[in-house]
Amino acid sequence: MATMNSGNNSNTPATAAPVMPSPKQTQTTAKTVDTQSVLKRLQSELMALMMSGDSGISAFPEEDNIFCWKGTITGSKDTVFEGTEYKLSLSFPADYPFKPPKVKFETGCFHPNVDVYGNICLDILQDKWSSAYDVRTILISIQSLLGEPNISSPLNTQAAALWCNQEGNSLSFLNTGRWLRSYTSLVCS
Amino acid sequence: MTCDTSTAGCGLEKLESLSDDSITEISENWNGFCSSSEALLKGSGDLSFSDEFVMRAKNLCKHGLSSLVEQHFLRCIEEIFERNGAKRFWSYFEPYRNAAPSETNKDLMQILEEEIQQVICKALEEISSQKQFQEKCLLLLARALQSYEKDKLQGQANPDSTRVYLFSKYQLIVSSVLLASLPHHFPGILHWYFKGRLEELSTIAAANFEDEEELGMDDKMDLDEKSKLPYKCGDLDSDINHKYAVFSENNKLVKNIGMVVRNLRNIGFTSMAEDAYASAIFFLLKDKVHDLAGDDYRNSVLESIKAWIQAVPLQFLRALLDYLGDFTSCNDPSPGLKSPLASHPSLCYSGTGIPSEGLVRWQLRLEYYAYETLQDLRIAKLFEIIVDYPDSAPAIEDLKHCLEYTGQHSKLVDSFISSLRYRLLTAGASTNDILHQYVSTIKALRTIDPAGVFLEAVGEPIREYLRGRKDTIKCIVTMLTDGTGGNPNGPGSSGDSLLEELNRDEESQENTTVDDDINSDERQAWINAQNWEPDPVEADPSKGSRYRRKVDILGMIVGIIGSKDQLVNEYRVMLAEKLLNKSDYDIDAEIRTLELLKIHFGESSMQKCEIMLNDLIDSKRTNTNIKATIKHQPQPEQRDLDVSLENLNATIISSNFWPPIQDEAVNLPEPVEQLLNDYAKRYTEVKTPRKLIWKKNLGSVKLELQFEDRAMQFNVTPLHASIIMQFQDQKKWTSKNLAAAVGVPVDVLNRRINFWISKGVLAESMGADSADHTLTLVENMNDTGKSGPIDGGCEELLAGEDDGERSDASVEDQLRKEMTVYEKFITGMLTNFGSMALDRIHNTLKMFCIADPTYDKSLQQLQSFLSGLVAEEKLEFRDGMYFLKK
Repeated sequence: MATMNSGNNSNTPATAAPVMPSPKQTQTTAKTVDTQSVLKRLQSELMALMMSGDSGISAFPEEDNIFCWKGTITGSKDTVFEGTEYKLSLSFPADYPFKPPKVKFETGCFHPNVDVYGNICLDILQDKWSSAYDVRTILISIQSLLGEPNISSPLNTQAAALWCNQEGNSLSFLNTGRWLRSYTSLVCS
Repeated sequence: MTCDTSTAGCGLEKLESLSDDSITEISENWNGFCSSSEALLKGSGDLSFSDEFVMRAKNLCKHGLSSLVEQHFLRCIEEIFERNGAKRFWSYFEPYRNAAPSETNKDLMQILEEEIQQVICKALEEISSQKQFQEKCLLLLARALQSYEKDKLQGQANPDSTRVYLFSKYQLIVSSVLLASLPHHFPGILHWYFKGRLEELSTIAAANFEDEEELGMDDKMDLDEKSKLPYKCGDLDSDINHKYAVFSENNKLVKNIGMVVRNLRNIGFTSMAEDAYASAIFFLLKDKVHDLAGDDYRNSVLESIKAWIQAVPLQFLRALLDYLGDFTSCNDPSPGLKSPLASHPSLCYSGTGIPSEGLVRWQLRLEYYAYETLQDLRIAKLFEIIVDYPDSAPAIEDLKHCLEYTGQHSKLVDSFISSLRYRLLTAGASTNDILHQYVSTIKALRTIDPAGVFLEAVGEPIREYLRGRKDTIKCIVTMLTDGTGGNPNGPGSSGDSLLEELNRDEESQENTTVDDDINSDERQAWINAQNWEPDPVEADPSKGSRYRRKVDILGMIVGIIGSKDQLVNEYRVMLAEKLLNKSDYDIDAEIRTLELLKIHFGESSMQKCEIMLNDLIDSKRTNTNIKATIKHQPQPEQRDLDVSLENLNATIISSNFWPPIQDEAVNLPEPVEQLLNDYAKRYTEVKTPRKLIWKKNLGSVKLELQFEDRAMQFNVTPLHASIIMQFQDQKKWTSKNLAAAVGVPVDVLNRRINFWISKGVLAESMGADSADHTLTLVENMNDTGKSGPIDGGCEELLAGEDDGERSDASVEDQLRKEMTVYEKFITGMLTNFGSMALDRIHNTLKMFCIADPTYDKSLQQLQSFLSGLVAEEKLEFRDGMYFLKK
């Protein structure tokens, strides 16, 4: 036992030594380390998202800016949105993950909680945000929002009204939505 | 008399005014002049007609017919010269019309050569004497004309002008007549003649050279090297004087040649003679260079070639020019006719110790030619030279000097690249050989061109090719780390040289750190600035300037792979394999290699490897500790089998830092299993929170098999061992049952069982089921007819012999695993961006795929990977863009 102890003792300073200089570095370059950690976080979120293999959701940073992502959501099964692909844009603030990212629909989405500009009304993207969420959970939340809209606080009242009168006729809802979408794009342009 | 009718017309007016008397006088004189001049010219040395000739000529001149006289006489001379001289002269050479120097019949050639030598001398002598005679006659005429003119002009005119005019006219006639009837084989004969003479001279000189060398040896025994050097380039004058004395011995020969040259000049063949002996000299020089240089690359030949140039051709030229100078300086026949190549004889060496300008010019020409010849020779053989590089360093050094002189580097690059393509970069060459050649090339070309410009050009095809080979990385790592170079039949152990290279780097780094103060830095900067030279013209401006191109062998080798990470990774895999197969904990060599690698690749990249080595060191300690616990509390109940913990050595690895390890289930024999469990238990006791997880398929087992008639020792893998253990209790197994007992698939078992069959331990026989073999233990050698390949000795066969038996996942497996990660990334980006070009995918991966495993592939690798995905119908490729297949 004595020999082992001595072995341990001799080992400890050796492992401790490389740790020493790192706090000094963080002090001097606190600012850069901060963005560095954001980068790192986004990096690992990307990796996790890529490796998760969840079906119907995907996102990837644009060209050279890891703070701007493009996302893709496919409407989940057994909802009116099934098979439709929606493009999203996600832009992360510099103090992510302490602030939520701004998420918008790029493709027009006729949905009670999405307005004609693509803004989304989702609690976890506003006041209910927590740094425990990540890109993957955001995307999953939006995907499930498509199927289960929050009628109580609609952004698109028309859609909300239609949704309530739907009576199981999902086709008509979406068709109206499609029509409205082309209409809105006409108005916007 | 055709001429007088024609000339009659010219003096028509004069003719009118002439009286009958004068006409008869003129015609009488004319007839007399014609006959006398004919008689004179044909008289061959007889000058009895000269008085009459002179008198008649004078008379004719009085009547103002001097130009007629002149023309007639010259025409007569021309006719006679053409009829007698030229024809006779050429007829001498007629028999040799078809005789060309050939190698087939030496004796005959010898005779022919001697004959030609004599014939040339004779013919030239004869024609010269004839010319001399005709010149004498011409002189008579000149005198006659001159005396007339003197009378007329009362000596005002230059008395010599007529003579000079007549002689130059005559010279022109002679050479034009001869050249007009020149047979085409004559230059060849001349060349041959000079070549023969020069060779003769060269052998004489060589003999002298040797004598001298011996003399020198006696004089200054230990100053041998020094005495050679100044002798070649140093104090030229004294040396030459000395040489001159020696050379006078063969003065006769030179005189002979000189005579021929002089006679040739005399008849207007100056440039032809120059050409002939110049080409003969060059021919001889080329022969000499080839002879000296040959296929021997171990000695520097440049100096000896230079010395030879001094000794033979220059001596010859000196003597020749000297000799000619003596004769031609008094009456230079036709300075205007000399070829521009000809050195001016009047400038020749006059014994004052200053070599004449012509001689210097000759020397420069000869040296340049020698450099060029040697360079061409060496470049053509550069491939072979580089193959035995360290030995052929003198040849490389020679080539460097030659190239400095000639500046034909691009020739080297082109020729070397084409020979590389043809001889090295083929499927037949092993990667090891290519790498060795690459290293030698780097080293060799570094001497020639320290800036590395040409090296870059030459190295590119090799790198390109090596990148296409799968085993390149492996070979490089083997070369780097293995002292034997991984190629036992390769020339020498080049692996050493790479490690040596690493060592040198280490030393140089130490050196720089020692005097790393500002002072020396500034000094160094100043020295660098002073040594600055512009890049060679061949340099590729896009490649940056020279300091970036500092030649660094390791850097260039790593450059083949593209990134050091790949290399480090491969090294890690190889290190793992090596460490896992170690039965003792002796890792000194590996530690040393690692330290060296660390210097080059940096501490951080080698961190994992260091941990691996530390694992081994720790294992050793832990092992000892655990063994110590047994001694304290011996467990007697385990004694039934003679395997105890004493015989077990564990290698405890921190699997996070090791390369992925192949896991293969194997059932170990019960006692061993127990032992392992026991060991693990003790380990947990010693290192409390930790637990051991055995990788049972790894490691090696030393075992001794005892048969009825023999005992054998083996060093095998655990799987092999557990297979043979099954035969301890049961002598016969079917392969299916055995596979079940050992716990491996049948095909794996079949592969492994071959080892024992080949050792003669097991015998295989076909069972009823073709897939199920029966295996029997061969207890007695004599039972089976065939005698085993071994007889009881210690048989060392470590695992890892047949393929697929590497203890850790191969690089390809790792690559595949990495690529699946990339595949996910690629799918991710294509889902969101629709379509992307190869470049963009590559850049995006580079930017965002930076966690473990970092994206470090080349564009080509990515492309092949993508086309693999296209083939699997996961992607689509249209118009240069990749799409997800819907």
